Amino acid sequence: MTTTNIYLPFKTSIANVKEVAKDVKLFSISVPADFTYQAGQFVMVSVIGAGEVPISITSTPGVSKDLELCVRTVGHVSSAINALAANDSIWLRGPYGRPFPINGQDALFICGGIGIVPLRPLINQMLHNRAATGSRKKVTVMYGSRNPAEVLFMDEAARWQEQGAHIVMTVDTCDIESWKGCTGLVTDHFAKANIDYRNSTAYICGPHVMIKATMRDLSMMGMPDDHIITTLEAHMKCGVGKCGHCYCGGKLICEEGPVFSLEEIKKYNIKPGVDDLV
Amino acid sequence: MNKISTTCPWCGCGCGLYLHVENNSITGVSPSRNHPVNHGTLCVKGWNCHEFVQHPDRLTTPLIKEGAALRRATWEEALAKTAAKLSEIKNTYGPDAIGILGSAKCTNEDNFVLMKFARAVIGTNNIDHCARLCHSSTVGGLAAAFGSGAMTNSIDEIRDARVIFVIGSNTTEQHPMIGMHMLEARDRGAMIIVADPRRTQIAQFSHLHMRHRSGTDVALLNAIMNVIITEGLVDVSFIRQRTENFDDFEKGVLAYSPEVAERITSVPAEDLRKAARLYASEKRSMLFYSMGITQHITGVDNVRSCANLVMLTAHIGQPMTGLNPLRGQNNVQGACDVGALPDVFSGYQKVADPASRKKFEMAWSRPLSAVPGLTLTEMVDAIHEGKIRALYIMGENPVISDPDSAHVRAAFAKLDFLAVQDIFPTDTAEYAHVILPATTFAEKDGTYTNTERRVQKIRKAVQPVGDSRPDYDIICSIARLMGYPMDYRAAHEIMEEIAILTPSYGGILHHRLDAGFGLQWPCFGMDHPGTPYLHRKKFTRGMGAFIPVEFIPPAEPTDDEYPFLLTTGRSYFHYHTGTMCRRTITLEREEPECTVEINPADAKRLEVRRGDPVRVKTRRGSIEVKARVTTVVPEGIIFIPFHFREAAVNLLTINAVDPNAKIPEFKVCAASLEAVRKKPGTRPAPRLSYHEGMKQGLDLYIPPEERPSEE
Amino acid sequence: MNTAYILNKNHLSFWLRTLKSTHELIAPTRDVSGDIVLTELQRMHETALDGPALMPSPKEFLLPQMEQLFCYSEEGIEEALNKRPRVLFGIRPCDLSAIRILDTFYLGKTKDAYYEARRSRTVLIAIACNRPDPTCFCLGLGTGPFLKSGFDLQLTDLGDRFLVETGSETGASLVTAYPHIFTEPKPADGDDLYETRLASQSQFEKRVNLEQVRKHIQAGAVSDAFWESVAVRCFECGGCVYNCPVCTCFNVIDRAASSEAGKRVRLWDTCMFKGFTRTAGGVIPAEAKINRTKRWFHHKLIHWPEQFGAFGCVGCGRCAISCPGTIDMATVALRIKGESKAEEK
Ligand SMILES: Cc1cc2nc3c(=O)[nH]c(=O)nc-3n(C[C@H](O)[C@H](O)[C@H](O)COP(=O)(O)OP(=O)(O)OC[C@H]3O[C@@H](n4cnc5c(N)ncnc54)[C@H](O)[C@@H]3O)c2cc1C
Ligand code: SF4
Ligand code: SF4
Ligand code: SF4
Ligand code: FES
Repeated sequence: MTTTNIYLPFKTSIANVKEVAKDVKLFSISVPADFTYQAGQFVMVSVIGAGEVPISITSTPGVSKDLELCVRTVGHVSSAINALAANDSIWLRGPYGRPFPINGQDALFICGGIGIVPLRPLINQMLHNRAATGSRKKVTVMYGSRNPAEVLFMDEAARWQEQGAHIVMTVDTCDIESWKGCTGLVTDHFAKANIDYRNSTAYICGPHVMIKATMRDLSMMGMPDDHIITTLEAHMKCGVGKCGHCYCGGKLICEEGPVFSLEEIKKYNIKPGVDDLV
Repeated sequence: MNKISTTCPWCGCGCGLYLHVENNSITGVSPSRNHPVNHGTLCVKGWNCHEFVQHPDRLTTPLIKEGAALRRATWEEALAKTAAKLSEIKNTYGPDAIGILGSAKCTNEDNFVLMKFARAVIGTNNIDHCARLCHSSTVGGLAAAFGSGAMTNSIDEIRDARVIFVIGSNTTEQHPMIGMHMLEARDRGAMIIVADPRRTQIAQFSHLHMRHRSGTDVALLNAIMNVIITEGLVDVSFIRQRTENFDDFEKGVLAYSPEVAERITSVPAEDLRKAARLYASEKRSMLFYSMGITQHITGVDNVRSCANLVMLTAHIGQPMTGLNPLRGQNNVQGACDVGALPDVFSGYQKVADPASRKKFEMAWSRPLSAVPGLTLTEMVDAIHEGKIRALYIMGENPVISDPDSAHVRAAFAKLDFLAVQDIFPTDTAEYAHVILPATTFAEKDGTYTNTERRVQKIRKAVQPVGDSRPDYDIICSIARLMGYPMDYRAAHEIMEEIAILTPSYGGILHHRLDAGFGLQWPCFGMDHPGTPYLHRKKFTRGMGAFIPVEFIPPAEPTDDEYPFLLTTGRSYFHYHTGTMCRRTITLEREEPECTVEINPADAKRLEVRRGDPVRVKTRRGSIEVKARVTTVVPEGIIFIPFHFREAAVNLLTINAVDPNAKIPEFKVCAASLEAVRKKPGTRPAPRLSYHEGMKQGLDLYIPPEERPSEE
Repeated sequence: MNTAYILNKNHLSFWLRTLKSTHELIAPTRDVSGDIVLTELQRMHETALDGPALMPSPKEFLLPQMEQLFCYSEEGIEEALNKRPRVLFGIRPCDLSAIRILDTFYLGKTKDAYYEARRSRTVLIAIACNRPDPTCFCLGLGTGPFLKSGFDLQLTDLGDRFLVETGSETGASLVTAYPHIFTEPKPADGDDLYETRLASQSQFEKRVNLEQVRKHIQAGAVSDAFWESVAVRCFECGGCVYNCPVCTCFNVIDRAASSEAGKRVRLWDTCMFKGFTRTAGGVIPAEAKINRTKRWFHHKLIHWPEQFGAFGCVGCGRCAISCPGTIDMATVALRIKGESKAEEK
């Protein structure tokens, strides 16, 4: 056959596993040198006999040696992945999807819960470039979690801060005294972030309600729609535009997304939430 | 690729379909275009009936319990052990210490052989099956009124009906293809009346929806008949010529004025009047009911009331009329027909009747017991009392399907010997001493009888997985080991025996079923064309009998501690205890977990939101499920489907039974519901302004140069 | 280039037998029950070309309802491509048009190896429709009842003989190898062909103008209340999608092949189900029935034309047969047209 089979995964092995929160694990996976990817893309991950699911790449393109994936247990396949240990084999195919667009503007990252995972590589990449080029561009990360125990990448956030990022952390509910971040919804804290809305680009990922509220607020504060970028979650079975599960508003989110700007969402009328996103 | 014509294994509609086979694996399903039930359609279960057949979880070898664990065994060993144990218990405690459960999922042939095994080989009438739990009240109630307890009319008459009265049946979800015919009738101008506490899909299409309180059906029906009588809508000549005992009945009904019934049922009197007028004033009115009528302690009474209603208006014995119980399982009708019941042989010939017994004794050359056996629900109690020591279960999962599961589990744990014959490891099989792997509908030949009495073939499409064997074949082997010769080379030979011994199946033989789409019993001889509707000119018992029925409230009324009325049933995507459908990816994905339906008003009061975990409790037990807030259920009623072993609703249900039919009251018990608050201790954090936060030392993550200045 | 031949009906069995010697021969076959099903032809005389549309559509031979993709274990991966040569004989022009649409979808930008393996080895022999079913409406869509191209061979029934048109080299080779049975047409055959086509076109009971419907929808002239009235009749059976020759959605699952190996299987899926779009966060984009119904029609009527330049419907009428709630393309399209007319007045 001349056609390469787009459904065939390749085998590789797990270099390292770390539990980063309850039910959430961070995997470092060895990949061949020619496996290149960009921030915002995802891979399809298989475990023999369990199945295949889409998982965002969370390692920094061109910087991290290993591929990093961060997986939360929700069901059958994600539990099978999270039961794997170092040196176990794992099957991958990809990378798929449209990456985050990058422009020269100040960047505002708004993350909710596990939604930090796809944004992490872009944050790292920007901070890396900032250090390399000595740019004064502002990088702001606003990160909301349900409670302190569910905050991912706490240490890394501290490092981001050292590298010059502006960090706002918040939790919905807090039951420990030692919590030093803010409380409330991310959108409650825009005021502190001190953002030049007209000349910044926002990257958003989190639960649907959060994405919806944030997009609305940013748009109202004058951020142009094409600078409000999000990555949408959809049910995905193939990742390559064939199975139809991710179809929404005439777009296949796996191929033409998962990254979309608010402008595109409005234009194509993509409504992936129970109620409409815009 | 080959396509093998067969019959759907899920529900009583009995749709015709083709299995697609390539290299001995089933690759798909397609509907039959000309089948009188489905006309080229299938429901979601039918479309996905191919998937479980070759599922990796199938039982492939016999298993024997050793200590606490099960080990693989050869057929010789497993059969020998089963035969030896059954013989031992029979010799020590007598044949009535053994109980046998047939299956509404297995073929007529399987059930006939099993009932012959029970009666001729073991020597007991302790044989029953899950029809006890769904339509035993129909069988009993209609036998008394009409002389025959089956759906009187045919599915393809529905579309020409003028009025369709549906009581206690969620037709579009549970008998989708019958629902389709009803919708078609509606499109052609028929009026639809629904009596159901839940706002089901068919209720959404109805012209009149009466949401009576569960368990008040007798009052509802009596009031409707009251109106029919007082407004002179009765068919006097029919009553005079074809029925008896009208006067007695009339006296009873006159007490149930619509106003009286309104207080009991909470259905407005005016609606009751409307329903009565609609139903009585058309000639082509069909009455349908299902488990909403039968699964009550008054199940038989409910059925009798329905029978009274159709006789009152002469809506019987004609096409597009009739009293139409919708049988649930694909072959529950057939399993009853071939005698997997404690009191009758095949064709409802009574064991207590010497003439029938003589016929079967001669055919089987064994003396047969004249004492009716124990019912399913009684067998469980008999195990607790030590009267039953061994149970042989073919293709049923009583641990999940029977009421008050804890009671059933405790009983099974007490058994000296339990043999389970099934296709998947079920919860019941956990208690088994021997597990025998059987074949599915796609791996054997045989017949199913659908709800409209249509006997249809299923055909072998693929080789059985592993060492699994057809049910009848397994039973024959055990019979032989117990010293009774039972040699059928194929299913059609069993059908021949059924035809010889069963007048209503007299003309039903496999080769006749091969051409076309089966035959509807009664079919008395080889040139009899089958019977699309019953009781033409004459009721089976001669005269139709009116039986006066009084309203009796449910066994367990609600009270302050258990304020909700819990009702149970099936969901569209699943079937019974879930052994097959929950292994079918599409069905399982649609409804992966158990939910309890609760009205928004109740939910608001209890501070329960959509998807919240709640605890539902009754006097028997409690389960945790997620809430589905919906107006499908009225206030005060909650609904839980029974498919989910991890949230088995039958831990909650009551084992109060109808005194005649012994059917349990699945449809009503009192329950309480409360939200389960996860993580107690969590307090919402105070919302702090930035500067207040600063004072409390919350500034860690904001670089100093970025902090807003204090004005 | 199309060349026409005449095949006497008496010679059909002979020809089918020769096709069967080299290919798996799939043809409409009469079952004992009276149904006509598309299956492997065993006895040549059982083929039935005069029946109504086949259920499900022939897409099952290119995208099977359930198919294994590969088997994998620690040792490696083994793809399961079906490479058996096949003839699909006696399929209808609408089905053929549908396969052409599937080709653009599956063999376009990214190729589906499984589809391609089957498709490249499948010979398509269509039979033109002399007698459309009451449910058919291909006429207005240009997807039938006769085609000019796209087939390997197209047969037209002219009573005692078939007129056979070649549409590809593969098709031609199956004809030119048997010059003794495929003869040159006479002028009278041409007349009969014209007559037959005319007669067929006059028999269509339904005229559906999907283009108009598309415009109505895009102009926002179709209200949610309308879609609600359609969706409430849905039984969620999936039959519309399963049966439609243009629908392509599938699910992918893994099954244990042994304790060490797994096999990946794909099976037909439908957007008519809630779980089809449920995401890990528990959000169901198309939760209400109305959203699912709307989505199906929008996809076929608006997004297919945008992406592939053709409607996602070829007018085969199968959804009219397979839907227990009579939610089918023709009925809904006609209702939309009717309602917007009513509004205009
Ligand atoms: C582009 C993309 C990137 C993602 N990145 C991450 C990530 O970085 N980390 C992470 O933990 N999760 C990520 N997810 C979510 C992850 O794919 C799901 O958690 C996973 O598919 C659930 O599979 P399961 O078998 O464990 O769950 P199941 O047992 O199958 O079901 C659990 C729930 O997940 C839903 N679900 C099942 N399959 C899918 C699917 N293919 N796509 C979406 N939802 C599904 C089900 O409908 C159900 O609600 C991502 C999803 C997408 C679409
Ligand atoms: S309606 Fe019943 S018999 Fe018909 S396909 Fe569905 S489950 Fe099978
Ligand atoms: S939408 Fe209906 S008519 Fe159109 S191609 Fe599909 S099944 Fe045929
Ligand atoms: S065929 Fe009809 S009822 Fe079935 S899913 Fe499609 S629209 Fe709904
Ligand atoms: S994931 Fe299959 S089409 Fe997008």
